[in-house]
Amino acid sequence: MALATRAFEPEFLQKLDGLMLSTRRARTRRAGQRIIGRHQGGGIEPENFREYAHGDDLRYLDWNAFARLDDLTIRTFRAERQLEITIMVDASASMGMPADDDKIGLALTLGAGLAFIGMSENDQVRFAAFSGRRGGSRLETTPFRSRRETYVDFRPFITGLKAGGETRLATAASELIQDRRVPGMVIVISDFLVGAGDYEEALGNLAGVGHEVKVLHVLGDRESTGNYPPGNYRVRDCETGELRDVSFGPTAAEACRRRIAEHTAGLSGFCTRRGMMYAQAFGASHLNEIVTREFPRLGVMN
Amino acid sequence: MGLLSPLNLLFGFSLAALIAIYLRAKSRPTIEVSSLMLFEEIPAPVAKSRRLHLDLLFWLEALALGALTLAVAGLYLRTSQAPGPGRRHALVFDLGAGMGAVNEGGGTRLDEARRIAKQIIGDAPASDQFTVLGYALEAETTHAAGSKPQQARDALAALTPVDVAARPAALRAALLRARSADQIDLFADRPPPASVIEDARLGGRINFHQVGAPAPNLAIVALDGGLPRATVGRCVVRNLSNHPQLCELVIEAGGHEVFHSSLFAEPRAEIVVPFGPLQAGGPVHARIVTPDALAADNQRWALAPSIAQAHALVLSPDAQVRDDLARIVLAINRNYLVTAADPNHPDSFNHAQHFDLALIHDTSAAGVNATARLLIFPEPPLDGSTRPQMIPVKRSVAIAELQEREGAGSLSAPVLLGPARVIAPPPWMQPLARGVGVREHDTFPLAAMGYDGDQAIGVLAFDVRDHLLLDPDRMDALVLTVDLLHRLVAPRDIVIEPTGAFVAVTAGAKARLVAPDGTVSPLLGDQWGQVRFRVLEAGRYLVVGNGPAMAVYANYYDAGESDLSAPAAELVRPSAEAISAGPSQLSVRPIVLPLAILALLALIGESIMLAQRAVRWRTTHV
Repeated sequence: MALATRAFEPEFLQKLDGLMLSTRRARTRRAGQRIIGRHQGGGIEPENFREYAHGDDLRYLDWNAFARLDDLTIRTFRAERQLEITIMVDASASMGMPADDDKIGLALTLGAGLAFIGMSENDQVRFAAFSGRRGGSRLETTPFRSRRETYVDFRPFITGLKAGGETRLATAASELIQDRRVPGMVIVISDFLVGAGDYEEALGNLAGVGHEVKVLHVLGDRESTGNYPPGNYRVRDCETGELRDVSFGPTAAEACRRRIAEHTAGLSGFCTRRGMMYAQAFGASHLNEIVTREFPRLGVMN
Repeated sequence: MGLLSPLNLLFGFSLAALIAIYLRAKSRPTIEVSSLMLFEEIPAPVAKSRRLHLDLLFWLEALALGALTLAVAGLYLRTSQAPGPGRRHALVFDLGAGMGAVNEGGGTRLDEARRIAKQIIGDAPASDQFTVLGYALEAETTHAAGSKPQQARDALAALTPVDVAARPAALRAALLRARSADQIDLFADRPPPASVIEDARLGGRINFHQVGAPAPNLAIVALDGGLPRATVGRCVVRNLSNHPQLCELVIEAGGHEVFHSSLFAEPRAEIVVPFGPLQAGGPVHARIVTPDALAADNQRWALAPSIAQAHALVLSPDAQVRDDLARIVLAINRNYLVTAADPNHPDSFNHAQHFDLALIHDTSAAGVNATARLLIFPEPPLDGSTRPQMIPVKRSVAIAELQEREGAGSLSAPVLLGPARVIAPPPWMQPLARGVGVREHDTFPLAAMGYDGDQAIGVLAFDVRDHLLLDPDRMDALVLTVDLLHRLVAPRDIVIEPTGAFVAVTAGAKARLVAPDGTVSPLLGDQWGQVRFRVLEAGRYLVVGNGPAMAVYANYYDAGESDLSAPAAELVRPSAEAISAGPSQLSVRPIVLPLAILALLALIGESIMLAQRAVRWRTTHV
């Protein structure tokens, strides 16, 4: 978890300063235009004029133009609107294994970086950590923060989060949807060491309710390369407790890398098909490379 | 190497512990992983194998532990050294009487040994070191290790045989001193005891050189002058060769030949030659005139008791004791006129009379005028008496046990005596027997003898009532008494001792000792004017001090040493390889340091491997 403290180091934040998180969803809406829903925010910046149509809000009628020209003209404005960004971090036990890889630390650091970037646009950002405990699911969220001055308020959550429990990605996604928030952006950060059906269901549900979903796939150095000390071992799944006898060595490492590649290709392909942005973060030692190379894949731009 | 030592064996078990640890470690350790889905396609054929596969780390640790265990156990190498410079030689010489035997071609057996030793010194490289050791009664280093051959030759020339039998204990001590040498040359005229050689554990480093061919020898075994004018004397001569020999025997007493005859001695037979009776007491000298190989056992001295009438006083309050002591005195010398008196009747003897010997039992010696006194069961000090006692008595014990006696050493079974007085003999007295009180631990003197000026004084601390001295079950008490009486009445100017014995005579603060070969050496007396020396040469010694000269006659005979027909040795001979290789022998080299270095290197190698693995696997628990 020591890596997570880097999220609040000035050097790290300085690299993120000036970056912006793009979104496919329009950040502006036309005020005065008939819309359905609760968001009817007032105009701020004049955008255009058009002829009045039935049903337009008479509050935006340009009475001066009507007096001079005797035409009913509606003044439209462009109003910026805030985006709700939810950064879902996998806090299951698999994120704590292998211990020296510190995947949970890497995930939280990258999530914090994305939050910091998102807060540069005054978007509302929150963290949500999910894991399965005692047969159920636990989704732990923070309040929304929108100003960078409040970025440090995430610190207790980020530094205090421990990995444990099972990966209940689909359940966590359902819980998030049940919150009935305005569709926004959901960045899912996980090792996705679950079945394809599980992550496809979760990501599909999030996208189905209108969220723009971005996927950040986190793996450790050791497990991504299969670099285990050679020898005969009995391995135990840290989430399920299942045991299996294996023999580590060059052949096993190659098989492990192949398996990772297949799993990654499956996840990446699914995201591509569903129009989700996908990025990889393999190895905590490559934090700077990930920020510079993988963040743009998630829409981070200067 | 001491791997059979239980402690060292425990160190060896550390290897077993290491194997157990590795077996435990190799029993498929369990590690936690993030998900089994990464490993589900990994075949694990080795997982079904039960074959123990040990890596290099194990062998390095086993090597380190094994090396340390062997170092603690004291592993050494026995290597065959080629003849080279700087080797250490030990030349060990038997200096017993047999080495003084003359060979047929002239020269003694020791001379022959010297010749061989000088040849060894001459053949050795100049840088070789030689130690010269001799042994007879004791081991003696004549020349410590040095690289100058001439010093070793001088030490060889200084070797002298003594007229005693070489003791195995002395040989054992000599070999112990020579143990550090690369090559040990033992020179003796007879094979050394095999047990001594085996105990020394010298391996092939020892070369035995037997010197001297079998030679005939005649020896005077015993001499008894008999009672002058009463009984015949006897001289026993033994032929120690396997051939009959002619023996010309001469016996002299009082400056006159009392026997001179040629005798025919059968092979390995003894001749008892009677002579006398002598006409007067004094020293008797017997000698074999026929020349033979060993001269030391061709003469012998004995002392015939004086025929002069002597007066003895037996003073005791017990009539039975007076009777017993008088009979013992007469048994020693029938020429004594014994006066038995009761101290409770002061008129029972003439107090003005001078006695040659006084036996005073359980009463005061005051008022007795005697040349020699034997105090038996000395009287304790009276209450309130401040008069100094001749023999201080500290306390009494109800029952005493005789435990050791001079000449017999510790008795196999202690002799139960009666009451005894715990005495504190003055320093000029020599303890002759010691005992202990029943249920006590500290021993105290039971008999002592010494000279107080011109007076010979002996003491027996135990009571002799109830016919103790005539009890056949307590014969040691009688022997001790007779021996003490013999010493008390012996002339002070003549001492006859076997060679090898220590002699103490009163000669003043400074004296000269004239040995049988004519050499003169100074002697220093103690505070009582006694000088002590050891007689190592058969013949007559003369001690010249303040008073008249005293003669000390040393007799030599040893059945084993005088037998010069010992066969050639078979047990210790250098092997053919050793002969062809010259003085090459096995040497023992401890290898503790190389083993420690080996262990250190193994541990360093292990550390390097661990560090490499830690870097490669990026773990800290390799």
